[in-house]
Amino acid sequence: MGWGGGWGGGAGGGQAFASSGNTGLPFGGIPSELMDEATKLLATEPEHAPSHVHFTQRPNAKERQRLTLPKLISVYPKWVVSGSLLVIIISLTLQAGPLLTEFAISHGMEHGHHSLTVIGACAFLYLALGLISVYFQRKQVEVTGKLSSRVMHDLRIRVFTHFQRLSLDFFTDEKAGVLMSRMTSDVENLQQLLQDGISQFALQGLTMVVITIVLFIYSPVLAAWTVLLIVPLLFVFSIWFHHASEKGYLLSRDRIALVLADLSESLYGIRVVTANNRQKRNIRNHRHVVGAYRDANLYTGRVNAIYGPSTVMIGILGQGLLLGIGGHMVLEHQLNVAVLIAFFLYLNRFFAPIQLLVQQYNSLQQGRSSIIRLRELLEIPPSVDEVENAVDLPIIEGRITFENVSFGYNPDTLVLHNVNLEIAPGESVAFVGPTGAGKSTMAKLANRFYDPTSGRVLLDGIDIRTVTLRSLRSQLGVVPQEAFLFAGSIRTNLSFGRFGVSNDDIETAIDVVGLRELVDRLPQGLDTPVHERGQTLSAGERQQLALARAFLARPRVLILDEATSSLDLRSETVIERALDTLLEGRSAILIAHRLTTAQRADRIVVIDKGGIVEMGTPQELLAQGGAYAVMYDAWLASGGRDATRAES
Amino acid sequence: MSSSLSERVQQARGGDSNPLGGVTSTYPGPRAEISRDKNLPWWRRILPVIKSHRLTFIVAIGLSFVSLIFQVLVPNMLSHDIDYTLQKHHYSLHGDVIAIVIVGLLAGVTGIVSRRYVYDTAYNVEADLRSLIYEHMTWLSFSFYDRVQSGQLISRANSDIRSVQMYSTFAPLIVVQCFIGIVAFGFMLSINWLLALIAMTVMPLLYFVGIKMRRVMFPISWITQARLAEVATIVDENVNGVRVVKSFAQEEAEIDRLADAAERVAWAYIKDANIRAVWSPWVQNLPQLGLALVLFFGGYMVLHGNLAIGNILAFNAYLLMLQAPFMMLGQLVMMGQRAKASAERIFEILDERPDIVERPGAYDLDHVKGTIDFNHVKFTYANGAEILTDFDAHIAPGETVAIVGRTGSGKSTVARLLTRFYDIAEGSITIDQHDLRDVTLHSLRENVGVVLDEPFLFSVSIRENIAYGRPDATIEEIHAAALAANADEFIVRLPEGYDTIVGERGYTLSGGQRQRIAIARTLLLNPPVLILDDATSAIDVHVESGIYEALRGLLSERTTIVIAHRISTIALASRVLLLDEGRVVASGTHDDLLAKVPLYSQILAQTTATGEVE
Repeated sequence: MGWGGGWGGGAGGGQAFASSGNTGLPFGGIPSELMDEATKLLATEPEHAPSHVHFTQRPNAKERQRLTLPKLISVYPKWVVSGSLLVIIISLTLQAGPLLTEFAISHGMEHGHHSLTVIGACAFLYLALGLISVYFQRKQVEVTGKLSSRVMHDLRIRVFTHFQRLSLDFFTDEKAGVLMSRMTSDVENLQQLLQDGISQFALQGLTMVVITIVLFIYSPVLAAWTVLLIVPLLFVFSIWFHHASEKGYLLSRDRIALVLADLSESLYGIRVVTANNRQKRNIRNHRHVVGAYRDANLYTGRVNAIYGPSTVMIGILGQGLLLGIGGHMVLEHQLNVAVLIAFFLYLNRFFAPIQLLVQQYNSLQQGRSSIIRLRELLEIPPSVDEVENAVDLPIIEGRITFENVSFGYNPDTLVLHNVNLEIAPGESVAFVGPTGAGKSTMAKLANRFYDPTSGRVLLDGIDIRTVTLRSLRSQLGVVPQEAFLFAGSIRTNLSFGRFGVSNDDIETAIDVVGLRELVDRLPQGLDTPVHERGQTLSAGERQQLALARAFLARPRVLILDEATSSLDLRSETVIERALDTLLEGRSAILIAHRLTTAQRADRIVVIDKGGIVEMGTPQELLAQGGAYAVMYDAWLASGGRDATRAES
Repeated sequence: MSSSLSERVQQARGGDSNPLGGVTSTYPGPRAEISRDKNLPWWRRILPVIKSHRLTFIVAIGLSFVSLIFQVLVPNMLSHDIDYTLQKHHYSLHGDVIAIVIVGLLAGVTGIVSRRYVYDTAYNVEADLRSLIYEHMTWLSFSFYDRVQSGQLISRANSDIRSVQMYSTFAPLIVVQCFIGIVAFGFMLSINWLLALIAMTVMPLLYFVGIKMRRVMFPISWITQARLAEVATIVDENVNGVRVVKSFAQEEAEIDRLADAAERVAWAYIKDANIRAVWSPWVQNLPQLGLALVLFFGGYMVLHGNLAIGNILAFNAYLLMLQAPFMMLGQLVMMGQRAKASAERIFEILDERPDIVERPGAYDLDHVKGTIDFNHVKFTYANGAEILTDFDAHIAPGETVAIVGRTGSGKSTVARLLTRFYDIAEGSITIDQHDLRDVTLHSLRENVGVVLDEPFLFSVSIRENIAYGRPDATIEEIHAAALAANADEFIVRLPEGYDTIVGERGYTLSGGQRQRIAIARTLLLNPPVLILDDATSAIDVHVESGIYEALRGLLSERTTIVIAHRISTIALASRVLLLDEGRVVASGTHDDLLAKVPLYSQILAQTTATGEVE
């Protein structure tokens, strides 16, 4: 497909975008004139071994550490040490210059010391040192490049792993765009700092130290004056900058998150936006959001604008004052002019690094703000977590027990009140009741998307809070109402739930859920690309895919949460028939408004206003003439398919 | 469309608004678009945007230059003072110090002002680009959204804009700094032209290194940005699909997937560093090379009495001035290439033209009675699947028609065509005899309200969600719409009622609740033509019948198309169109079709026709 390549790389894997032969198409990835260069580059890329990150719900000791920059880089002591050594060497080669100049002047140019050999030797040495410096600088860039890219890699995985640990309530409360910005722009924000910032910071800092020492050697008095005049001023200014810029950068991090949240929501809701003619108003709103981000940036820009040039000004004023002091000493014959000249020569080299330091300090501040935001994120505990020493849930038979379960998304308003229910192994139970009665909530408690406010949920008699989430959820197959599809082919989506699903299994699943016709119709069949917002598939087809995906995962317990709502009745019948085979030996919770589905269950549980109203086999309940019987009559009256008759 | 920009801006300014997070700003929006000429180099394409901030830009550059001159004056003054005041006692030391202090203050003030405007320009340009991309995407057609992933778009609208912004903040500063080179060269020339030329002989090398760097840096920058987008795409999917990932306990597999993508980013960064490592040290050390040359040839001149020793020091100072800008020059080239790669990626979006555009002279659809005609409509999605082959139907004003068909038969497509989300390949669709393609999009969608099959809610309050299409609606109107959609009863029971924030995508509500809000949202628009695209699939029968009770009254005044599987929904309609293989295969009342068309009863899975419909 045209949008493979650079756009669709996520699922394409590997060297996707270099190999995609569709450069002429829009969004085909890399422009054609760069193809050769890029291909050459990519040819040097080794096959990366597939990653195997060991995921545990509970973070290990290392992951629990507070996120700080030093800790992040200290994982690579080798590179930190070699990088520092290189920085020292570079700093020394750079500082040797003035020494050589001075030597050449005093031993080669001054009266009585004329010697072209000395001058030549010094110049040659100067040149040689320059070349050596080039070499070491190259090494240093390579080392810090490696260091920064590894650190960012670690950080990406760490933050993403934390995302995976967090519970559903977090994802409901936090806007998707905000999370996106943490994983992208906050991490990328560190790149500049790690790649050049830290080493430059060290290099320039070191240079200043060396120069200060040299200054003291030349003239302790003048050097003391320099330190006295310049350092406190710079210090005060830097403290101010530290606070002012941190405030600005943190604000800017928050505002960019809003920008991305607004953007992301608009993209996902584009159909609603268009259908409601909301474009202009949304543009207006987005201008406020973008503008607020800009305003935060303008603030930091102003802080920067004051800090940078002010340090230059302090430097010049310092030089002026030192000229006064030094000149006075010269005039009073306390100081030799030559020394003053040399002193000023080095003084220049004292101020130059300050400028660079100031710049790096800025990127350090910028990086710090990202670190702070990321740290806050990493310190959010998942609301649904494993207990310490959680054990794996053994392969279950499928007995599900709700024991005095109460629950509210918001602790003040309970959605479920004291629910007791036991589902036997192999039994299928239908939850019916009005929307918002708490049916889905029950399902969400069973696979621990949420924890009950009070009471327990047990599987085979084991409190699900005592087992690992993975072992729990891999045995429960939930098909939610919204059938989310990942970017990739139909095939990759189907094999999402279980590693190594065979082709035959997929073909069977396609038949079982009634997607055969669709697959045959699509030019690329099972390899047709789909993605979340794409309209290749209808809502019903998406649900069918989601069902097939769950079937292929072969869970011990199947939970269908309104999973067939968008299907036409015929497809639903197909699926119902499939359910008969699928549910064999499995427990199941079926949540459906279509009572034909409910009728197929072994038992029906009517849920209303957060509690179980009645419960029994379909026949019993119909015979009782209670709430279910009323519902069923309404269902028939509304034209629902009469399952009692259809079966007979 | 460039002409419509001014109009868009005009309209976008007025009125109140409710931006995300409640932030407000006086930011007026972009004043220019990028150049449409794809053959221009990237910076020329962005130039119109920068030009729209020319005032601050010129002030910034001009004052930076002034500030620089002041800075460059200082070493000259110092050396002059040392020579004439301290050694020859021509001037007073006080005067010298005061002069330097004044120059320092001037350099500082001009520096602060210029820097401020540099940032102002850069951040305004960034905001403009962000707005442009957002605004452009807002008007793009669905065929575009069917093709690209959100993660890609978000990454381009973020990482890529950021890299352009970093360059636009950085570049003017460095370029101005490089003026130091010219000034310093001037001073050196005035001292000794020959030595000045010798000192600067190395500079042309800079040019060649720069060219080379640009060539090698660009592809790797592109690769890096593309891979960052891959990471963004995975993150986006995982955040939005978190329920699926957790349900299947696939956290580890997803982390592995991300780790793989991150590994590829890491490789690109390392490659980038290695390439840079080869070239940028040369750029940084060129002034050093100049210094060595000055030392040798200057020394030679001193020995022959052609140069004073103090002059060597001055040359030293001037060449040192070059060191800081040169150190950053390597970075500048690198950032420039990154910005170029990013800009091209941004342009890919901005160059995308909407497929669905208004015809010149499109007029507003007005006073719609609601006659709808589909004339031999043929439609194929971009992926090649032919959906409608010969869809032909006439719907009378005020009629309620149900479209019934198998899953994937193209029912929803009909809704998307009537709102012109897509354009048909052949045939025509008319409302009151006006071809959809002849009328303005805004008026069309004002008159054709659609409740989509997926009830997408925004993470704002319920009130705002219902009033999404008519933000100026009164609370009474909102209540009325909610009542008609049978949503009021559950909304009032929520802790904060209509002001309850529904959370990301509205996931704090159940599927049926979301659908009811979506229905209320469309009812509030009160459109003459209403399409309900499987809008009640997650709503239980009881509530549904309540909704239809309310709707029945509303529907009599408008043309309605319902797309549904449930007989209860179909029962709303006076006529049913049976859709199969891309065309209407039968049309008639529910009972008629049930009796006469086997396919119909098959689709409804209805084996008998024993009057189960009210």
